[in-house]
Amino acid sequence: MAAIFDLNHHAAYLHWHFIDVSVSNVLVIAVMLLVFAVAVLAPFPHGRSRGSS
Amino acid sequence: MSTGSERSWSARLRRRAVAALPPEKLLPDAQPAYVASWIYVFGVLTLSSLAVIIASGCILALKGPAWWHVTGIGHFFNSVHLWAVELFFFFMVVHLWGKFWMAAWRGGRARVWMTGAISFLVAIPCALTGYVSQQNFDSQWISTQAKDAMNAAGIGAFFNLLNFGQMYSYHVLLLPVAIVAIVIGHILLVRRHGVVPPFERERLLTGAAPTGGLREGE
Repeated sequence: MAAIFDLNHHAAYLHWHFIDVSVSNVLVIAVMLLVFAVAVLAPFPHGRSRGSS
Repeated sequence: MSTGSERSWSARLRRRAVAALPPEKLLPDAQPAYVASWIYVFGVLTLSSLAVIIASGCILALKGPAWWHVTGIGHFFNSVHLWAVELFFFFMVVHLWGKFWMAAWRGGRARVWMTGAISFLVAIPCALTGYVSQQNFDSQWISTQAKDAMNAAGIGAFFNLLNFGQMYSYHVLLLPVAIVAIVIGHILLVRRHGVVPPFERERLLTGAAPTGGLREGE
């Protein structure tokens, strides 16, 4: 079964001082930060109050 | 039941357990109004990922390497296990960020934070030892790099990371058992102490800047 994405090549790396991280890793971290921000800011559906404090 | 049996260790243990976690606290049917944010979902997402990891890992262990390396369905479960691990760490780190920024150790909840941190630290070697299951040159490379790291940390004499059978056994049994035990303790402590109230609530009730945090019910 052919892969959707070609994985048979070297990953691109971002290098800054001692930090050496792949582009895909940076993307995952960026997505995590975005998800965190959305989780904190997005409105949460309020159901019927059932005597909660 | 006679009075004598009430002095037995099992009765004492039962009383202590029920006192610490009565059924309505162990399995509550309501939650505080302030637990109405998507950030609180990431704990249960982490748990769900862990459940998928354990289930798929059990299937992989039952069927063995020849199955997951060769057959299509084995490859599928191998992929489920891998991606469940990726999601587990994704959700766990977002959960960690949320708990850190809301200072969730307040109000006598230090052990909740500690058990969470320990489960994170134990999950990392559990995930890394899983690489040896690839049984290819990549896994040998990872083992040699890990051995260098352990030697540099001064604990190389205690763990031979090139010992495939040992590291695979750590991955399949010892470390998952440790993680599940710590996570159970973590959840029971959350049930016992309740979800930490937000800073605003503490400030409103005490009229002062938040310090130690409110305990449950305050």
